[in-house]
Amino acid sequence: MESISKDEISIPSQPKWRKVAYGGMQPGYSDNYTDESFLEGMVMNANVVKRDMLKVMQDSVSISQYICIVALVVCVWTYTLGSTITETTLLLLDSCLLGLGFVVLILTAKRLSLHLLFHYLLNIAFFISGLYILAPIYCTLTKSISSDSIWALTVLLLLVHLFLHDYSGSTIRPPGALTNPTLTSNISLNASIVASVLIASRLPSRLHVFAVMLFSLQIFLFAPLVAYCIKKYSFGLHLWFSSGLMLVALGLVSTLHRLLFGLLLGLLVFVTFVCPYWLIRIQEYKFEINGPWDEAKLCFDVTE
Amino acid sequence: MTEQKRHRILMVSDFFYPNFGGVENHIYYLSQCLLKLGHKVIVMTHAYGNRSGVRYMTGGLKVYYIPWKPFLMQNTLPTFFGTLPILRTILIRENISLVHGHQAFSTLCHEALMHARTMGYKVVFTDHSLYGFADVGSIHMNKVLQFTLADVSQAICVSHTSKENTVLRSGLAPEKVFVIPNAVDTAMFKPASERLSRNEIVIVVISRLVYRKGADLLVEVIPEVCCLYPNVRFIIGGDGPKRVRLEEMREKHNIQDRVDMLGAVPHAQVRSVLISGHIFLNSSLTEAFCIAILEAASCGLLTVSTRVGGVPEVLPDDMIMLAEPMPSDMINAVGKAIRMLPMIDPQVMHLRMKSLYSWYDVAKRTELVYDHALRCTDENLLQRLPRYLSCGAWAGKLFCLIMIINFLLWHLLNLLKPLEGIEEVPDFVYPHHQHEEPPFDLNQR
Repeated sequence: MESISKDEISIPSQPKWRKVAYGGMQPGYSDNYTDESFLEGMVMNANVVKRDMLKVMQDSVSISQYICIVALVVCVWTYTLGSTITETTLLLLDSCLLGLGFVVLILTAKRLSLHLLFHYLLNIAFFISGLYILAPIYCTLTKSISSDSIWALTVLLLLVHLFLHDYSGSTIRPPGALTNPTLTSNISLNASIVASVLIASRLPSRLHVFAVMLFSLQIFLFAPLVAYCIKKYSFGLHLWFSSGLMLVALGLVSTLHRLLFGLLLGLLVFVTFVCPYWLIRIQEYKFEINGPWDEAKLCFDVTE
Repeated sequence: MTEQKRHRILMVSDFFYPNFGGVENHIYYLSQCLLKLGHKVIVMTHAYGNRSGVRYMTGGLKVYYIPWKPFLMQNTLPTFFGTLPILRTILIRENISLVHGHQAFSTLCHEALMHARTMGYKVVFTDHSLYGFADVGSIHMNKVLQFTLADVSQAICVSHTSKENTVLRSGLAPEKVFVIPNAVDTAMFKPASERLSRNEIVIVVISRLVYRKGADLLVEVIPEVCCLYPNVRFIIGGDGPKRVRLEEMREKHNIQDRVDMLGAVPHAQVRSVLISGHIFLNSSLTEAFCIAILEAASCGLLTVSTRVGGVPEVLPDDMIMLAEPMPSDMINAVGKAIRMLPMIDPQVMHLRMKSLYSWYDVAKRTELVYDHALRCTDENLLQRLPRYLSCGAWAGKLFCLIMIINFLLWHLLNLLKPLEGIEEVPDFVYPHHQHEEPPFDLNQR
């Protein structure tokens, strides 16, 4: 910063300007004098990360995967509403998913703890019985509202859910996680739950309602956790799992409607190829300024 | 002083006495010295508690506490146009020729400068703080600053670093920005008449105990220093959310007897705390200027400080030990300062400070800025609008709209409450302020 030392200047009458505030106005220089060293300490784009296309594409797989999961849920909802799936099939599906989820959690966990497993089982038992008791209420919740409004609202809520979803982690944290879920991810989770309640309330019987609610809640609450565990366990497995899910989702959606199939395919291409390319392209517009005026960062962690 | 050269200045800021801080001090001392130079100075701020209306301070300084309640951190609620009527009345009543606003996060200052420009007054703005460019708060703040500075006649910054920052934030031409530092009332901050013994070295910290002032650095530095130098004692003045952490640190390392925590220190008692120490420790993480360092140096203390913002410009190298804001470097700097201590004579240091800083000098330099501002050409609304338009794609249009509405409101006010209806106040001439010795010494050289 200081520029006092070393080189003597040729003209003795004009002392060199110094970047100092003391000693009053510097002789020969007015207060609005701007030296050549002005903004010398400014650093531009110091923290820009060079991104690799392949890496960004791989990272975007998490997003495509979750979109497919939601698409699958929507398929199941539609089939249940159209009575293609009976409640017994659905209950069977529920228990299969629950079992599979547990197997994945146990296999990917670093160390197995019986206590934790028991804790999980107890919670799920409470959860299922609570849902069963509440099912009659859900059944008649929106009797007075037209189906069109319900569908519109559900689509809207699912969009909110997808938009705000925490794709990098999981809203339901594995035990012992350090950080708390963010506000947006909580809003997203709640939107999805409301959407499931709305859909369930269109169904004819209590058992239907119970089965669909259990299915949607299992997916919305625990699928991100399971996917997160798989991703942490092995990235290759995560990629295989995701591509499998994508194929299944595309196949199921294509049986629903051509347009929906096109839409989902377009969305997946957009997320996996266009968005990463776009992200890398807009990096050149990055304009970040750092300099001596920045607040200093502490080099140690502050624990409250 | 001839009548023409006499400026009639209105200082505007949300921050003024009875609130206390760097800005308040700056406005007060600057006004006092300008009054002594024969100018007319009026201060306008918002009401503090039941202090509302007009008050007179030392030297005939007239202060308008306008009946506007602060809503957040001593700021008034931004209403854009709400303050126009009262400001117009004050400007006309006091026959003001120039408006000088202080501090970038004072809403009252921004509004007043906007109205003053609408009414065709010349305006000067002083920026007292540094801002980053990254977080959401700063980005919005910078836009507001850009709006105000788009049409300001001249701007003043308190340090060269602050000037760089302000120019970057507002896009103002660098030659329109003057650097005039703060000063210190050396008459108020005199060293102790007797030199302290050096058997025990006392390190003084006086700052608000918050994150930005580096309270977390202190938590790391103090135990280490206590461990390395058994004859060192700390006195910490100030209060804030981080006080608990410091107290925890004290208990954890069992150094209660060596670290005194005084709590908040009223400004009048700062000197008495300062003169009980040898070294002043400043751990700020960001600082545009730091008056506290000047006060300490004026009391003859050797300063150890973090090398942030404008701090390196404040004192000559032999009066301050600078360190990077890292515990290890800070501890080294404290060690260096302790070794340097025998060479420091507080009285000599005080005399040096007297020659380096004076409010009188600040006022003289500010006077030159006022002269510059008054020499700027008058412009009508149409000439000024393009400058607002260039502030940004959306913001520019919004700013233009605000200025046009403000202009219309001003004309409406002129109709509703014509100029002739507002009486001009006779000037209050302080009986002995030009040729006689001032009632107290504001460190005239």
